[in-house]
Amino acid sequence: MANARALDKRRKSIRNIRKITRTMELIATARYKKAMDRAAAVTAYTDRLSQIVNSLADAGTEVRHPLLEQRKNPKAARLLTLSSNRGLCGGYNASVLRATMPHIGELKSAVSNVLVDVSGKRGINGLKFRGIDPNDMYQQFEDQPGYDEVEVIASKYLELYVTGQMDRLDVVFTKFISTSRQQVTIETLLPFGSLDEGADKHAQETNTQYEFQPSAESILEEVVPTSFKAKLFKCFLDSAVSEQVARMIAMKGATESAGDMIKQLSMTYNRARQSQITGEIMEIIGGVEALEG
Amino acid sequence: MTLRCVVVTPECTELDREAEYVSLPMFDGELGVMSGRSPLIGRLGFGTIRLQTAAGPERYYVDGGFAHVEGDVINVLTGRSTPIDLIDRDKAHADLDVALAMPGSTPEESQIRDTAVQRARGQLRASS
Repeated sequence: MANARALDKRRKSIRNIRKITRTMELIATARYKKAMDRAAAVTAYTDRLSQIVNSLADAGTEVRHPLLEQRKNPKAARLLTLSSNRGLCGGYNASVLRATMPHIGELKSAVSNVLVDVSGKRGINGLKFRGIDPNDMYQQFEDQPGYDEVEVIASKYLELYVTGQMDRLDVVFTKFISTSRQQVTIETLLPFGSLDEGADKHAQETNTQYEFQPSAESILEEVVPTSFKAKLFKCFLDSAVSEQVARMIAMKGATESAGDMIKQLSMTYNRARQSQITGEIMEIIGGVEALEG
Repeated sequence: MTLRCVVVTPECTELDREAEYVSLPMFDGELGVMSGRSPLIGRLGFGTIRLQTAAGPERYYVDGGFAHVEGDVINVLTGRSTPIDLIDRDKAHADLDVALAMPGSTPEESQIRDTAVQRARGQLRASS
């Protein structure tokens, strides 16, 4: 039978760990709610943007832009992987890396020059461990990525794409679908797929004749890069929300497991204590009988 | 009759105000909007939105974007919106110097440089 004192010590340390995981769970819950609010704000922005695109399409503007055109024989591609800076968030980073590795292989077989950019310490270390040297590394994004910071990256990619130094940009991130479902997604952001994503809900209500200032073409010229920036920002926000959800669930699991372990250890501890007492009583009885005899 | 002016950035709704008159910094000059304006979609430049509200005039710097006017509501979509008082004039000067030093040998590069120059000049104009 195990030593009662050692068991008690272990039980105490697990209690302390449970306190920590419980606190981390609460912090992740609070951060998740904040991150969700930000994700809702960007949705309001993109909805209005698609309303503008719809109005342009209704007015008969031909939707053509260099960013929308597929390039023949792409020579240089980039892959941006969004991971987290901190661990203790379950399989969040592992699943992002699991999706990244085969995709790098696919890109390399199709395009000669492939560069990998990573956001988040965990992703940087994970890729280095797997023998891939990241080109650009970002560690400034925590639970609330700022638009200013993301815009700098988006503008850099736009510049590279427009000047012909890059022909394709893929982003690996965790898409937030619901609290119980987050999915690792690989999206090609450049060339930009389609502008009217999520715009069908406004399709019926646009009957108004708009005046375009200075012209519909000039507005379209600006809408495409703006949509790209908003979409990249949404990828960062989705990743941030998913990270907090993953951490919340992981810490909830850890707290529950710690509770179970404490119960199990308490039972073993009580048994050990009981057998120790029984042993001592038997010794006393034995001693008394020996004296009487 | 008043207008409702809503300024939305990707991070939040920066401003939601009732105003009698709103002046928008369009791509090719200022545009005044009063109640009853016909529907409009416009491209914004780098400049100042001026609002004439019941409490007095208000001014905000916007970093390009779009304006959508329909039925006495002005929706402004922009990357960044700041009250005029918070613009750092020294930083704007520094940004202009950096922008002017950017390369412009190809049409794409010169377009990128022009945008950076326009942004810095817009901030300088707004802060003066």
